[in-house]
Amino acid sequence: MTNPKIEFKDVNKIFSGNTKNELILQDINFQIYTNEFVCILGASGSGKSTILGLIAGFIKATSGNVLFNSKDITRPDSSRTLVFQDYALFPWLNILDNVAFGLTTKKHKQNNVREKALEYLTLVGLGNYKNHSVNQLSGGMKQRVAIARALAVDPEVLLLDEPFGALDQQTREAMQTELSRLMTKTKKTVLFVTHSVDEALKLADRILVIGGKPGKILLDYKIDIQKPRDPSNNQLTSVRNILLDKLFQPELFMGADI
Amino acid sequence: MKITFIRITFFVLLFSIWQMIVKLGHIPSYILPAPFSIFESFYYGFVTGNYTIAIISSLVRVLIGYFMALGIGIIIGILLARYYILDVTFGRTILALQSIPSVAWVPLALLWFGITDSAVIFIIILEAVLPVTLSTKNAMKNIPQNLIRAAQTLGSRGLHLYQNVIIKAMVPELITGLRLSWAFAWRALIAGELFISGAGIGQTLELGRSLADMSQVIAMITTIGLIGFLTENLFFGSIEKRVRLIWGLT
Ligand SMILES: Nc1ncnc2c1ncn2[C@@H]1O[C@H](COP(=O)(O)OP(=O)(O)O)[C@@H](O)[C@H]1O
Ligand SMILES: [Mg+2]
Repeated sequence: MTNPKIEFKDVNKIFSGNTKNELILQDINFQIYTNEFVCILGASGSGKSTILGLIAGFIKATSGNVLFNSKDITRPDSSRTLVFQDYALFPWLNILDNVAFGLTTKKHKQNNVREKALEYLTLVGLGNYKNHSVNQLSGGMKQRVAIARALAVDPEVLLLDEPFGALDQQTREAMQTELSRLMTKTKKTVLFVTHSVDEALKLADRILVIGGKPGKILLDYKIDIQKPRDPSNNQLTSVRNILLDKLFQPELFMGADI
Repeated sequence: MKITFIRITFFVLLFSIWQMIVKLGHIPSYILPAPFSIFESFYYGFVTGNYTIAIISSLVRVLIGYFMALGIGIIIGILLARYYILDVTFGRTILALQSIPSVAWVPLALLWFGITDSAVIFIIILEAVLPVTLSTKNAMKNIPQNLIRAAQTLGSRGLHLYQNVIIKAMVPELITGLRLSWAFAWRALIAGELFISGAGIGQTLELGRSLADMSQVIAMITTIGLIGFLTENLFFGSIEKRVRLIWGLT
């Protein structure tokens, strides 16, 4: 078997506050392989964003190792791009220049920056909006721009932190379908954080359920059902029950707010 | 269009009534000059070049003081944002500057620099340095963390990150500081100029007082108000509005 793309080895994370130190993640171990679409599922406050922060390189593990291509992650890099729930687009740049942002850095510097950016903007269906400003777009469009921006630097791993959490139900479902299509096309390793069981069931090849205080991996489940999936599929229903079971274990439910 | 018409009517009416009160009340011109003599004062002031020179000298003075204040303020602001200890000590102390009107500095400035330009520039700096310092500090502290992280995850760091994200994210807050500092600088300029020699709006105003030439005094007051209004509202106001629009802050 090939080396994992991302590996957590006995990772603990303590956040030290003014008054006390809090253990947020305990003994986290998992591997993620090339081209996998993995959903991290858990209640809010369970440490999902912290896991993505560790992979993105924003924060460091208190102990243990977070490896990318078998090497310790030391700082943020465009090989692992993160998409935020609140889009985090640069308001002073138009849509095209937002997508082009990563391409203007030293590592990606090239002549046809705008053409390449337009290619990715077209990929998410917003080619015609290239000169619009950020605040002219709806939430769903903003998130598509953010995804195009994250893909434009051709990362090996795409990290998404509850990317559709701020969208209405209809837009949300459309975006899920779109992301699914996009990922089969671009072939990336994807880590998708969500607290929605149905979202995870729709998108994931594999689901990591995280929960408890401190947060631990409660379940690592592979879903061998062809996408796109029928939500009423029997097999899927039984997976849903397993997931809900893990998420709502009474002793873990204490203190976790869903 | 309609508003413009109403405004013009208002001013014509105001000046007519004023002119009438002065004429019918036989008010001596050293108490309250008629609007016509003020227009006359403006006319001769610009024909002889006295007012033009005064305005230019004042603008040069205020711009020197203002830009020095910006330089100092931005540096102090960055230091205050970066070093907490500095902020709770020095940072808190300079807040007291806010309560000191510019005239309070005049005796000190005159003792140190004499009745020279330097005295006025010193007063301007003291007045104008605070808003830009505070806005620099706040702008640095309030940069949305997610914007920085978004940039970092796309591979931006070092100079690229500073130029393309950190400075850009600070702009809206900074503009507010620049505008306030300018307003303070303009007021401090006039306060200082009343006490020094040489050409300038404040000096011309003070000269008008000593010659009992109320027309000149009012002409200068009008000039101060007009330049202040144009720069603060039209110039800075429109920049601020544009920035807020582009940054999506409206
Ligand atoms: N920088 C930080 N400092 C202190 N505590 C933090 C920090 N970031 C997150 N936490 C805490 O860690 C826990 C997990 O946070 P997070 O990873 O954001 O959870 P999730 O994304 O699953 O909602 C929360 O209780 C949160 O308050
Ligand atoms: Mg989160």
